Amino acid sequence: MKTEMPLSKPIRRFINTTEELLDTEISLLRQPDAEPGGTLVDVYTYDIERNVIIFPAQYVGLLKDFIIAKHCTQLMIKGAATKKGEYKVCSYTEDSVYRGLRQIYLDALKDEASKKDKLPVQKLIQMLFILFTHFNDDLNELPWNAIINASVYHRMSKIRKTQLYHVMKESKNDMDEMMEQETIVPRRYFVLNKAMFYARDMFLAKTLPADELMPVLNIPQMKKFNHLEVKEMLTTRWTHTAWYQSKVFGDNMLEIVDKPLSQVNWNAEPTLDYYFDLYKIGVNLTNHLLSYMTMKDWYVWEEPKHLLMAHENKEEYEKKALKKIFGDLISDSLEDSA
Amino acid sequence: MTVKEADDLLRKGFSYAKRTKFKEALPYYNKALSLDPNNPEGWYLRASLLIDTGRIKEAIADCDKAISLNQNYAPAWTKKALALYNLEKYEEALFASTRAASLNGNDVTAWYLKGVCLDELDRSDEAQEAYGKSLELEIILDIEAERKKVGR
Repeated sequence: MKTEMPLSKPIRRFINTTEELLDTEISLLRQPDAEPGGTLVDVYTYDIERNVIIFPAQYVGLLKDFIIAKHCTQLMIKGAATKKGEYKVCSYTEDSVYRGLRQIYLDALKDEASKKDKLPVQKLIQMLFILFTHFNDDLNELPWNAIINASVYHRMSKIRKTQLYHVMKESKNDMDEMMEQETIVPRRYFVLNKAMFYARDMFLAKTLPADELMPVLNIPQMKKFNHLEVKEMLTTRWTHTAWYQSKVFGDNMLEIVDKPLSQVNWNAEPTLDYYFDLYKIGVNLTNHLLSYMTMKDWYVWEEPKHLLMAHENKEEYEKKALKKIFGDLISDSLEDSA
Repeated sequence: MTVKEADDLLRKGFSYAKRTKFKEALPYYNKALSLDPNNPEGWYLRASLLIDTGRIKEAIADCDKAISLNQNYAPAWTKKALALYNLEKYEEALFASTRAASLNGNDVTAWYLKGVCLDELDRSDEAQEAYGKSLELEIILDIEAERKKVGR
């Protein structure tokens, strides 16, 4: 890694360790329009020569450092799994798309039957694949998010306050996700989606102790959280969301998340084997979430290239699945929307 | 007229530099400085470019020039701190970043650099203080940026 930008000591060391252990190179790139949580473009997913961590240009201090720490951890997990020849992600195939869309459609029908304002058929059909890919994205992100945050928390004590801010911000964004579609999305999926994020938040609330919060109270915009613990902050938010009556799902998922992660020795020596173990835990956790949400046959564990190909073929997969579900009825509808 | 012309050239150069087109930006800065060598901003902008292109020692010279024109020009002190940090001259970088932070208490980079240098000098407690200040400022800026983005 060669960079002119300043980095705090633990981050610089972590980047060097990552590069050494994985025998790879990491570049840091500021971009004005980068995602607030940054992006990792890695050699284990794409055909590129070096890994790039992209972060918003306005992050010049510890906010940048936290993003780097997070993505370096992710890179370690991906790299360790690749080196062991086992790195796979949650992908989908033509058949699995059909199974997923069919299930969502059946659930949507049940919902629609009890609705006063019915969703136009065209919109309902469009929603099926959007929801399917939405869960695919979330399942490829959320379990790892919990693992990575826990790992960074235990390994980088100097950036804990920054991490807390990121977690609060991310939680807010994730909570807002899908809210506008609340009346459209079948209740079951709305609740499951929120429950996943609730479980992640509650796990992190347990992991990040309250005392780390105190220094950020100097920030006027965060004063409203004064005297609240992290758990209380996050719970207060969740109780104000529309899905709270279904909290039971979230609590069950929290158990699924908490059980494997509470067994991890987060301070063990950070070797390739250690990160490979984290990878296996993440896969295991994802599988449990898939089972709990009865989505196990919606997705397949495949190499990252498979998922990239699936994204490229997604329109075709969607078309074929819809044709299989609706038969000839769909032709007119697809042509109408074209 | 010359000053205005120099300002225009600086603006043009900067529009290239912020798109990381350093090669294109540099002649504009050079020309601007030849027209108006008494503008500390010009030296500071060229110093920024020189750091981005790895010409650290030349960048320090430009920062010093800007500071000699205006001792209280905070951005030049911050940039000098960054250049010195890149040369691993942590004591000197600490001095420059401390000066920058005292001239402009809202400069996130200055506080952060101060923290980084203190950390490198194993003055951990003081580093945490500087990091804390830089984080507060960075969070406030981030919250403001978010607000602007959603149009509140």
